[in-house]
Amino acid sequence: MDFRIRQGLDLRLNGAAAETVETMARPEYCHIRPSDFRWLKPHLLVAEGDSVDIGKAVFTDKNDERVQIVSPVKGTVKEIVRGEKRVIECISIALDRDTGTIVPVTFEDSDEAPALRSLLLQYGLWPCLRQRPFSVIPSPDAQPKAIFISCFDTSPLAPSMSFLLHGKEKSFAFGLQKLQQAAGSGTPIHLCVQAGKTLELSNLPQNTYIHHFSGPHPAGNVGPQIHRVAPLDKGESVWYVHPLDVARIGRFFQEKLLGFDTTFALTGPEAHSPHYYASFYGADLSGLLKDTLKKEAVQQDITNPDKHATADEDGSYTPRIISGNILTGKQIKSHPSLRFYDHQLTLIQEGGEREVLGWFLPGLRKWSFSHTFMAWLSRHKAFNFNTSQHGDHRNFVMTDIYEKVFPFDNIPPLELLKACLTHDLDKMEELGIYEVDDEDFALCEVVCPSKMPCQEIVREGLREDREEVDN
Amino acid sequence: MSLTNFSDRIRKHFEKGKPLHCFSSLFDAVDTFLLTPKTVTTTGSHIRDAVDLKRIMITVMIALCPALLFGLWNTGYQHYLALGQTCTIWTCFSYGFLKWLPLVIVTYVSGLAVEVGFAQWRGKQVEEGFFVTGFLIPMIMPPDIPLWIVSVATIFSVVFAKEVFGGTGYNFLNPALMTRAFVFFAYPSVISGNSVWVSGSPEAITGATPLAQLMNGGEQTASFLDMFIGTILGCIGETSKIAILIGAALLLFTQVASWRIMLSVIAGGFLTGSLFYGTGLCPINGWQHLLMGGFLFGAVFMATDPVTATHTQSGKYIYGLLIGILAIVIRVINKGYPEGMMLAILLMNIFAPLIDYCVIQIKIKKRKKNILSHKTQGSSIIKNSK
Repeated sequence: MDFRIRQGLDLRLNGAAAETVETMARPEYCHIRPSDFRWLKPHLLVAEGDSVDIGKAVFTDKNDERVQIVSPVKGTVKEIVRGEKRVIECISIALDRDTGTIVPVTFEDSDEAPALRSLLLQYGLWPCLRQRPFSVIPSPDAQPKAIFISCFDTSPLAPSMSFLLHGKEKSFAFGLQKLQQAAGSGTPIHLCVQAGKTLELSNLPQNTYIHHFSGPHPAGNVGPQIHRVAPLDKGESVWYVHPLDVARIGRFFQEKLLGFDTTFALTGPEAHSPHYYASFYGADLSGLLKDTLKKEAVQQDITNPDKHATADEDGSYTPRIISGNILTGKQIKSHPSLRFYDHQLTLIQEGGEREVLGWFLPGLRKWSFSHTFMAWLSRHKAFNFNTSQHGDHRNFVMTDIYEKVFPFDNIPPLELLKACLTHDLDKMEELGIYEVDDEDFALCEVVCPSKMPCQEIVREGLREDREEVDN
Repeated sequence: MSLTNFSDRIRKHFEKGKPLHCFSSLFDAVDTFLLTPKTVTTTGSHIRDAVDLKRIMITVMIALCPALLFGLWNTGYQHYLALGQTCTIWTCFSYGFLKWLPLVIVTYVSGLAVEVGFAQWRGKQVEEGFFVTGFLIPMIMPPDIPLWIVSVATIFSVVFAKEVFGGTGYNFLNPALMTRAFVFFAYPSVISGNSVWVSGSPEAITGATPLAQLMNGGEQTASFLDMFIGTILGCIGETSKIAILIGAALLLFTQVASWRIMLSVIAGGFLTGSLFYGTGLCPINGWQHLLMGGFLFGAVFMATDPVTATHTQSGKYIYGLLIGILAIVIRVINKGYPEGMMLAILLMNIFAPLIDYCVIQIKIKKRKKNILSHKTQGSSIIKNSK
């Protein structure tokens, strides 16, 4: 079916990745973070000094030990970084020399769901799946009502899915087949593609449906897609998988090769020569970042401490480094590596500049959704966003602004946020908490004049609801 | 030394434990008034819209300026007209300005003192809500109203219509209208009748507003053009309809005010006025109702207050329509209240949560029905997409 999404907003930035791939220089370390997997409580299986191999479990989920996260590389555990209350923040693995990231494996293939699930769990491919609601790794016993694959990404500077999948079409199609078998024979697969684009795929499994979506971001998010194609009721769930991970699963079953290699896009106005890199999950990005930061562009203002609020002590300047996109990504501060589900590294300027009577000035260089600044005159041009919050947190005042960028029919975003804030679980369920996720509120957060942390509020509401459901 | 450096240097004297901590909210208010905050995003989206509440408020204040500027001139014009004297534009304007200036100073001092006090007591920042309220209050008062009455009314409104509920964003009644309502019911002689609209006349020259003339069955002396341009008697800011419309255009272009509410209020007022005119209950038609009294001012600047209006988009139509209808009903049916707009908006402020509740219940039912229809018909729907 064709769907047109009207609510939303496309943010234009400089720094889109050119469609060339460079193999990233082999790093010394690989960093794995339990926080990449939502609400997963890790049970650590390795200690510092232990040797690990590709496919060896590094930690499991305490709530279900069958779910394990494996090492993507062969090496030695160098460091286990713990934060407050001894929470595991990062497991750093020093790579062995001259080892690859893809290895052959031997197993007996099957078409039966239990056997397939067992294989995915054993080799650490189960975390490639996520479920809605809650965007967590699904339980190995779950019976989803459908599988959704979003074949395009509308988030700012997102990598081109067709470019990422180039050359992997056969693995992708085979991966769909195996996922369908693992979910349960006959489980419908919904491929959501951008209107006007075609998927050159053959040998798609039975019960695969292709839907075309048009409209601004977040048309590429699975949330609005699921809402229109197969909306979720309480107790129902769907799986969603990134196309590259579908191809990874397809390659695993078809060629019996296990690997967590990935291609990601370096993007953003602060990136020097943004393009794609071939690497693997958890690869240390220190070398890449050192080469790519446009330090020469900021040398001129190093002596002015007001200009860059986050200038380092030696006067050098580091932009905000984000794993993912500027709406839902996470800032990387130490042990830089991409999160498991991210295929984009974004560099944007840090903000925090103080301006005299800034709220009163015409604002020729201040982007706004609301036309209250003169920058609307150049609204069609790419804009160099920075991380300034442009105001402090306030109560809800502009009450109708969220609905302009929230593409869920009959789900009132403001009321849902208030239900989450007041911990009213019944109200949350009535209003449709099972159909949304925090990423669906990212644009609401961007345009909100009250600087309300919408994503955090919804995530907290989802967490409370899930705890209630589990209990 | 730059202003930023100066602010950073003295900030530490207002921190917790320091002697000036009791003025920390006031310092923060002045600091963020003069300089944009240096806060960067730490959670969620890494970028944010440049608009904040200060920008929203200043946009509303700029939209109010045409009506205010005309009102200042008109105050002087009506004064000299009543005395039978001629005056230049500048003379009229400066007279009105000198009448308005003490009003606005007293309003802001009274209101901000309460806001800062509450913010300090709560340990929070002073919020920007009173920017617009303080600007609106003098515009909906007669020019010669005693300053102490304005001060008392402002304090009452800020405390009981806003702060007791939690401050900006938590109130359910429009604070500016509550100020006017307080004066109307507690000190009616200074805001109603025929002797309050001409400023500064020692002989207490009376002059009825066009609305009062109509309601008292008197002869209508103001022409259509007078009412549209605004050279009539009334509160400082409500007389010039063209100036109000200029402000409305700015609010609509910047997407600060809801067009749904404005349109529905005007539609409700026009239809109800036309109905009364058609049935012979009222001698003026729908269009004239829109030009009289504070109807248009209320429709553009009061009813569109986003906090006290309905929050749902569908609810805004109902809310606006009922305000328009009620304002005209109160005007026509109840001779005791020639101006019904204030009461209509306050009444609908109280009903706004109920309208929202009904709209939300309809949405909940529609969503459940949609899920059910996908379950029962889903296979036939998605087969079409293969």
